[in-house]
Amino acid sequence: MIRASTRESRLRNFALAAAALATLAEPMALAAQPTAPVAPPASTQGATTTSDDPALYKPTDKDERGLWMQMDEVERELKNSPEVIRDPALNAYVRSVLCKVATEARCANIRLYITRTPHFNATMAPNGVMQVWSGLLLRTTNEAQLAAILGHEYTHFQERHTLRLFRDIKKKTDAASFLNVIPFAGIISLGLLSSIFGFSREMERAADRGGLDLMAAGGYDTQEAARVWERLREEMDATAAERKTKSRKDKNGGMFATHPPSAERVTSLNEWAKASPGIPGASGADRYRAAIAPWWPQFVDDQLKLNDFGASEYLLSSLASTEWTPPLLYARGELYRRRAAPGDLEKAVQFYGEAIAGSGEMPEIWRGRGLALSKLGQSEAAKADLKEYLKRAPKAPDRALIAMLAGGE
Amino acid sequence: MRGTLIGLAGLLFVATATPAAAKWSLVASGSNAKAAGTISVTPGEEWNRNSKKPIKKGEVWTLDGLNLNELYFVSALAPGETLFKDIDKKNRPLPKLAASAVLTDIPEFFESSARITLNTSLFEITDVSPTKLGGNDAVKFTYNYAVTGESLTRKGVAVGALVRGQLYLISFAAPSIHFYDRDAPKAEAIMASARI
Repeated sequence: MIRASTRESRLRNFALAAAALATLAEPMALAAQPTAPVAPPASTQGATTTSDDPALYKPTDKDERGLWMQMDEVERELKNSPEVIRDPALNAYVRSVLCKVATEARCANIRLYITRTPHFNATMAPNGVMQVWSGLLLRTTNEAQLAAILGHEYTHFQERHTLRLFRDIKKKTDAASFLNVIPFAGIISLGLLSSIFGFSREMERAADRGGLDLMAAGGYDTQEAARVWERLREEMDATAAERKTKSRKDKNGGMFATHPPSAERVTSLNEWAKASPGIPGASGADRYRAAIAPWWPQFVDDQLKLNDFGASEYLLSSLASTEWTPPLLYARGELYRRRAAPGDLEKAVQFYGEAIAGSGEMPEIWRGRGLALSKLGQSEAAKADLKEYLKRAPKAPDRALIAMLAGGE
Repeated sequence: MRGTLIGLAGLLFVATATPAAAKWSLVASGSNAKAAGTISVTPGEEWNRNSKKPIKKGEVWTLDGLNLNELYFVSALAPGETLFKDIDKKNRPLPKLAASAVLTDIPEFFESSARITLNTSLFEITDVSPTKLGGNDAVKFTYNYAVTGESLTRKGVAVGALVRGQLYLISFAAPSIHFYDRDAPKAEAIMASARI
């Protein structure tokens, strides 16, 4: 029953994915799919078409038609995937931001899929399939930052970056006399890889630049573009500090170094923002918060279960930059209760308490505090909290177990 | 295979390097079998036991193949150990069993370990209730999940107990279409027969 996944097929899958998707960023490690790189070679056929040219949206030759066919297949699977968040309100909101940066006429060519994936990423396929991961929506803090990402991805599409990368890979693997029939499978030389990826970093820069211009045209404060990456760097520092490892923020080696180092990215984006400021102060923070609010508890919960205390604490603190609301306090209580290092349970009890004092009403606040108190040996207070939880959540999935701990209902 | 917890947790990767290493042996129906070293169970039908252990203290059984039904035994997992193979410690380390763990922590520990191993957020615990495992206080919980790139959803049921601070756990998972309903009662009978 153990299906041997051969090295060849893995490489091939990797290369296919790499060729098919232009991903935003993978510094958060671990994307299930390898990233997709892209970057215009000096020799690129001048594929930059004016954006209103209808030809932009149709495959024009054999290479491009092949890519589209493969991506259409991926999209068919995506359409049925339980990972896709179908909430019309959330989809309409993210699409509205995309249409502001790409313009109404052009955004009609993009099919947007928001997926429930708790890491920072967005991808763009050559046939117009854009994926935005829920972990990204948890990390951008206002509409302008989201617009920066969507503009970046849209630029990959508009400039046909994937096609250029595909051609570059094909050229190099052919040159190395690797399997002609399946050119993708040939990419095994590290030398080739780094040259292809170096090439892709240039395309990332181009997408950053293009995205920023679209953002400015859409009426956003372009300084927010650099903030996305600054925040990501801070989060990586937080993860590393907690794990006592070295921060990955400046990690730029290895096979997946497809993206410009974040520090350089921040600097460039800040410089471009000065030249193309958009509308200073137009961040759309309130609109963004209102649109994401219904999904926050879910996204935060997904984050808490990643066993990444440093990043979770960083994200909660930054979400709470204006105010520690009861849901954020509850989440922080959960984070500390789950880690349960010395002193954590006391802190958790305190955070749950503050959530209750701030008129928090989620039944799980009492559950969390009850469980933490119970471990601290305060069994009477614990039982009272657990009973309160059961009273507030009569249909809780863990009712039977909690009732036992509470000594009855 | 990519949707199965155990395949992802270790077997697949080991098997890729040494395809010949994993062997299956038959566990006879009605026999008194030892699972994962120290758990005694009496299966009501024939099961297939994999010789390759996902973790030192774990063992995998199946009826028709891990994609269709997987039964995972963990015996005497000590504080500081992980539930599945910790395949990417640097970037996404699995949680370690806490010395202070109590029954209510078992489903949370399982969920977090499974989400990271499967690289999915589509994992939900659906019911948690008290039970016994080999005479010890235990927690029983059901769950369902799906992984990236598969439209298939799977369901699972597990029983876990902490005995002298060590975790004993039996978990069964199968596609929610057909296989779970067909085979979960067999797995639950094995859980009920367990002695530690």
